[in-house]
Order: sequence, then C-alpha cells, then structure tokens
Amino acid sequence: MIKGFEQSPQYRVGGALEGITVVELCGARGHFMGKLMGDMGARVIKIEPLGGAIERQIGPFMHDDPHPDRSLFFWSHNTSKESIEINIETSEGQELIRKLVGKADVFLEDCEPGYLPSMGLGYKDLSTHNQQLIMTSLTAFGQDGPYRDYKSNDLVALAMGGIMHSCGYDDLPGSPPIRPSGDHGNKIASHYGLIGTLAALFNRHFSGKGQYIDVSVHEACNSTTEHALPSYLYEKEIVFRQTGRHHSTVPTPKTLCKTADGKYLIVFQLFNNLHSWLSLVAWMAEFGKAEDLQEEKYKDMARGGPRGMRASSDTTDSDHAFEVVRRFIASRTSEEIYRGAQKLKFPWGEVRSPEENLHDPHFAEDRQMFEDIAHPEIGEGVSFKYVGRPYRFTESPWQAFRAPLVGEHTRSILSNDVGYSESDLRSLDGKGVISLK
Amino acid sequence: MSEPENTIRKNALEGVRVIDFSWIVAGPQCTRILGDFGADVIKVENDANLDYIRASKPVGGSNSPNRSPLFTTLNRNKRSLTLNVMHPRGMELLKELIKKSDVIVENFSSRVLEKWGLGYEEQKKINPKIIYCSMSGFGHSGRDRDFVTWGPTAQALSGLTYMSGLPGEDSAGWGFSYMDHTGGFYGTIAIMMALIHRNRTGKGQHLDLSQVESGIGLTGTAILDYTVNNRPFRRDEMPPGNRAPERGVAPHNTYPCKGEDRWCVIAVSTEDEWESFTKVVGNPSWAREARFENMSSRFENQDALDELIAEWTINHTPHEVFEILQGAGVPAGAVQTPEERVEKDAQLEHRNFIAEIPHEELGIAKVESIPMKMSETPWSLDRPPPLLGEHSAEIYTELLGVSPEELGTLFEEGIA
Repeated sequence: MIKGFEQSPQYRVGGALEGITVVELCGARGHFMGKLMGDMGARVIKIEPLGGAIERQIGPFMHDDPHPDRSLFFWSHNTSKESIEINIETSEGQELIRKLVGKADVFLEDCEPGYLPSMGLGYKDLSTHNQQLIMTSLTAFGQDGPYRDYKSNDLVALAMGGIMHSCGYDDLPGSPPIRPSGDHGNKIASHYGLIGTLAALFNRHFSGKGQYIDVSVHEACNSTTEHALPSYLYEKEIVFRQTGRHHSTVPTPKTLCKTADGKYLIVFQLFNNLHSWLSLVAWMAEFGKAEDLQEEKYKDMARGGPRGMRASSDTTDSDHAFEVVRRFIASRTSEEIYRGAQKLKFPWGEVRSPEENLHDPHFAEDRQMFEDIAHPEIGEGVSFKYVGRPYRFTESPWQAFRAPLVGEHTRSILSNDVGYSESDLRSLDGKGVISLK
Repeated sequence: MSEPENTIRKNALEGVRVIDFSWIVAGPQCTRILGDFGADVIKVENDANLDYIRASKPVGGSNSPNRSPLFTTLNRNKRSLTLNVMHPRGMELLKELIKKSDVIVENFSSRVLEKWGLGYEEQKKINPKIIYCSMSGFGHSGRDRDFVTWGPTAQALSGLTYMSGLPGEDSAGWGFSYMDHTGGFYGTIAIMMALIHRNRTGKGQHLDLSQVESGIGLTGTAILDYTVNNRPFRRDEMPPGNRAPERGVAPHNTYPCKGEDRWCVIAVSTEDEWESFTKVVGNPSWAREARFENMSSRFENQDALDELIAEWTINHTPHEVFEILQGAGVPAGAVQTPEERVEKDAQLEHRNFIAEIPHEELGIAKVESIPMKMSETPWSLDRPPPLLGEHSAEIYTELLGVSPEELGTLFEEGIA
C-alpha cells in the first residue's frame, strides 16, 4: 500500500480492497468500475468537472427533480466514492490531479485517447513520480488503431461488439436487432477494467511495480458473445437472433411461455432424462393437463436425454409435447409454475421485472440482497433500498455508502490529503480551478 | 505461493494454482481469465460426466470431445486432469492437489461439494489458506438454494430479459448466456479480490456467488426508481427498445440499411454532433424544421425523425454509415455480423483480437483475446484448450508424486 493518504472519513474496515486508494476520472464508460472497488473497501476519489459529472443529468431522478444530486442513475453507479470538483482544463487543476495520482495506487480514467497525455497526465508522466501506480484507461476502441478516435456510446458499443446482432426477434417481421437496456456495453468494459486492475494489484504485491492497462470497450463486447464468433471462426456459420432465447445457426424451439396471470416464463430442457420427464407429466396430470404425454414414445425421447432428442430427425413429437406443456403453463400463475418446476429440477425462470425481486423471499429476506443506504442529505434518518452485494465474501465484506454530492469532499481532500490551507483553497476557488460553492 | 518481492514476472497471476471443477460456460469463463493471466488452471474432468460443452457442435461433426468451437475459446490456457472423485484413491489424490493449490472453483448446484465431503470446512482442514469460489444459481444459503439456473434462467429472474425489447412486445431478452459470461466475470473479480486480501492478511475464504444475484447487481437504477419513486420498470412504455428516454436524446436508434436484415445505429447527444450529422447527410430541408431545432424537440418528435433518417440509411451498407458518420465525428456503428467482426473490422484486426495457436485435432485453435493490453504483464496464448486428460500423467507424476507404476493402475482402474 502506498503511504500518503489519510484515512477517509468513511473508512471501512475489513473489505478486500481496504487500504487501496483509487483516483477516478470517469464518465458513463468507467464509473461502475470505481463503484465496484469502493464497495469492497477501496477509497475512491472521483474527480468531477465544476458543477458535477455529466452523468448526473441522466434520469430517472428522485421525485423526477432533475437536480445533479438526485440522479438515480448516478446514485446506482457511484456508491462508495468521494467527490472532488476540479477544472482539468486549467494548469493548476492538472497539477492537483498530478498530486492526487502521485499518491494513489490506482488511476481509473475513461477519457478519449490522447487527451490526458496532451496535458502531461499520461501514464509516462504520472509513473515517473509513482512507479507503483496502476493506470487503467477505458476507451471505446483502445489507445491505437484505425478506430481509435471514433466516437461511441453504449448503443454503438453493443452494435459494433456483435451483441445486438444476437438479440431481438425472429417472429416480428422487419423488427431491428435490440440493445438490451441497462448500459451493458459499459458494464462489460468496466468488469474487464476491474479484472485487469485487480490482476495488476496482485502482481504489484510481488513485483513492486505498477503498470498501464489499455482496455477497449469494443474488444470487451466482442469477447462476450458466446457461440457467435466460435461458430463463424470454425464453420463459417452465422448465428441469427431469436425472440427471448439463444442465437443459433438453426431454428430452436421457443422458450417464452405465457402464464395465466399474463407473465412469462423461460421454459426449456423438457427431455433431460426419464426421471425428470415422468415427474413433469405427473405434475401436469394432477391438474388434468397431461393430455397424451403419458404415452411411451415420449418416455423414449426422455431416455435419450437432450442429445437423443436432438439426434431425432422428426421433431413433430417434441413440438407437440412442448405445445401441451405450453397449455399447462397457460393455465397456472407464473409463480406457481416457477416454483413447481424448480422443485422438480427444471431450470425454468420467471421473466421478472427488476423490482419484483424486492418481494422474492429468497433474495430479499434470506440472502439480504438489497441494502438500506443512508441519505442524511435528504432528511434525518432517511435511507433507500439499493441493490446490494453481487458476491458474498465470508472474510472481507461488501459495504457501500451513498454516492457523493457534487464536490462534497473537495475541501476535505485538498486540506487533509494534499495539505492546502484555507487561503490556498480560496485562491484556487477564485481562479476557477476548484469550486467551494 | 512463495512471496519474493521485486521479482520479474511474466504473468500477473504467476504462481497461483486453481483447481477448476467448473463446466458449461459460467465457470470456464471465470477460470479462462485466470488462465489468461498466467494462473495454473487445472480442469478436473471425468469421462463419466464430461463438460457438456466438449460435445457442443464439434467441428466436422465428429464424436471427439476435443473439437467444440465454444469449448476451445472458453478453455484455452488450462490443463486437463482426469480424476474420479468417487474412488477413494481419486479423492486422496484430489486432497493432495488441494494442499498444493490456492483456489478451488466450481459451478455445480449448491450441495455437490458437500456431498463429496469437500465443503469449505473440509477444504480448510486440508489447506487453511484455500480460496473457495462456488458459483451456483441461487447461492449456498436461503430457502431456494436448491433451485437451478442456466444462463437464460438467471437473465429472466434478475430482470435482464425483461429489460431488453420493444415496448408492447414480448421480451427480446439476450440472444446468448450473458449471465454465464458476466457470472464468470464476478467469479474472477471475487477470486482476485480474495487473493489480494490473502496477500495482506494470510487468510483464505469462501466466496459464495449466485448467478441470479450477480444479474440483480446490474439492475441498480431500476431498483432505485422503484424504492425511491415507487415507479416499476414493468410499465407501458418500457423497455425502451433502442432509444434512450433516460437521457432524453435523439436520434438514438437502429436504422435499416442496404441489404437483407442489415442495420446500423446512430446516437446523437450534442448540438455539435447534430450539426455534423445534418451536414454529412446532405443538409436535407427537414433538418431545419422547427420540430427538430433542439434536442428536446428532436426527442419529442423522434418517430418522425427516425423515419426521415431511415430514408438516408437505407441507401448505404451498415459499414458505410459507420465510416461516413464517424468521419464527421458522429457516434454511429454497424450492427456487425460475426463475419464482419472477423473479416471487416479493421480495429479488431489492428489489435490482434483473434489469437491463434496450433491444436492437435483442429489444426489451429482460434480464440478471442482478453480485451486489454497490459504494459508489464500482457496476456499470452500459451496453451491451446486441453485435450481430455491431456495433462493427467504430468500432473499425477510431477505434481502429486504418483510413481510410474501406480500411474498405470490409476488409468486401468478408472481412477484417472
């Protein structure tokens, strides 16, 4: 650990990244990476332009009030960070960043290629004064190459990355490929950025040396499309998109099944083995919905397992079986089918809207997947339920606190960590380098 | 692991040994990254219960377990050890391996290792510093811990399937197991964080991952909209298709191009980009109409705007739109096919994205690179995906001290 930073006011004990200091200069591309580090105990100092990061203007907003401290998009991607407002376009602002990064373990940034080096804030400059520094740059296409300076965002990333080609509808004529909503191109890249950063932190423990990591969103998406590239690389086959289910080079059975309460389930793997097939048919029979599925030929298909079914050239019987199961599902509620099928070891799932997990007893109660996070700035004792830990550590806990207000920690960081006096701060404020409000 | 300071290291995870019981996609995605960073990943396999992906679409339609394209990319940089854990000698040798390893990874359903007598408490008795990462569907505690997931199940339950689609239509969902990839990423992240924690404290731990929970973790904004504003994501205008109502920008959509089922995307988010866009599409008169004069009016009238833009895009291929608009500084892209990604994407080619290595049965194994360049410890494709049991003999004799005589017995009696 590099000495130099004071313990932050929100210092948390025991997280896996306790003692690591991260300086983050990120927008939508990389802010999730910083959040994941902060939630595991790293001290994350987020540098924002005067007035706050542009992501603070992305909705939805608390009570639909478009205030920079009330963006729920910003809240969910920026927990467990401190905020310092610095005008990076000024030489004194750049000097402040140099000072902060000079003492940090990690510098995460997602600026356009060449921007930081143009003001002496590239890895070459920064590592001269801090050889242990790990600098992770997250860009749309990478630091070199013909597309280096091209502009991108989540939509462009998912299109160029091959993800959209696999997502959409096969039963909706003329419909476009679909971008799954939720900033996933940026998230895939943030996950890889974090993975590289952690590998470098582990390596530094032994080598004593930091390094530079050049992460490309484009490559991150392109390496996250399952069968699409392997199918082409080896067989020159092109997968196509299918409604609600896997891309494929040949049509596969529909998996979305509507339930009596108007919801949907993902239903697949009917013929895994004889035992599971018999249990499914017995369950349907309880409701008088098994129709002709007790016949011997279906048992033979089930004996063959998934491979046996696929090998069979005649799919009429399996299509019919699926239609009968579909009618059974249509007669019951989503919750009932989901739980009943899972008890029989069928990996079927309800198509839930995200908020419906707040009412799932396994996740909400037993696993405490949602955490109350305090928002004293809204009012005394106010807290909101957030998505909690995406993994469970037995020794080094996940602990999050709310996203910072714009520039909330400018004064404390500059006086406690950089050693500026009150008059220094007022002078920087006066020159438009920082904002004390 | 030994802990020399200031040593030259070729790979970031050099010296880390991983026992990999994982299969299908999620677990192998996790350990593939560990292997890419130089960890010694030992894939423990058994003829009687093969990784299903080994049989997935073998090249040339053969019955070989070594020819699956997807297996190839998910399992490069690993070694394969065949070992029968149900045999007492097999279990004994596995325990020897645990003593010499740092990490155990599995993505079985939640009670399998306990049934083997190898739950975390047992692992700890064998090796107190072991890091055990279990990647089940629902986690190792809670009332539904015995429920099972595949990627599509986890996507459906977490909300990700529902969040993808056109408003008023069925869910388009994800066309592949995104949560196998991403569940794998969270496994990798957790393991590396635990390794860093162990460097500092000397302690191992159990990492209890749930594929559904890792998916729920990606829905943070939708959850807050509900808990703060009481606004469910399940409502008429959602999901948003390819538009961006949360940002209030337009144009932001897919547009039809020349060719059958060919598409591009365009996303304009500033006035400068709008000016460049209108110029490069030839200053059409509609672009000066009052209904498109600023971002909020364009957003309000985006149905009409999208139709007019489509009249321009339909005359170009997706890559033409991409190059024309990017040349003018406008964010745009082709909805690339797999073929275009391999044959036409100059950036991926420049960055050597597809890596190759000789392979005994396939001739050459071709895989996607890990998507980053590291200045000190770059990844390398050191090993092709292993043939089934390819490294059994060397691991038994060199690492576990099995004599050449016993080695024969292990194979004969189905222990190896």
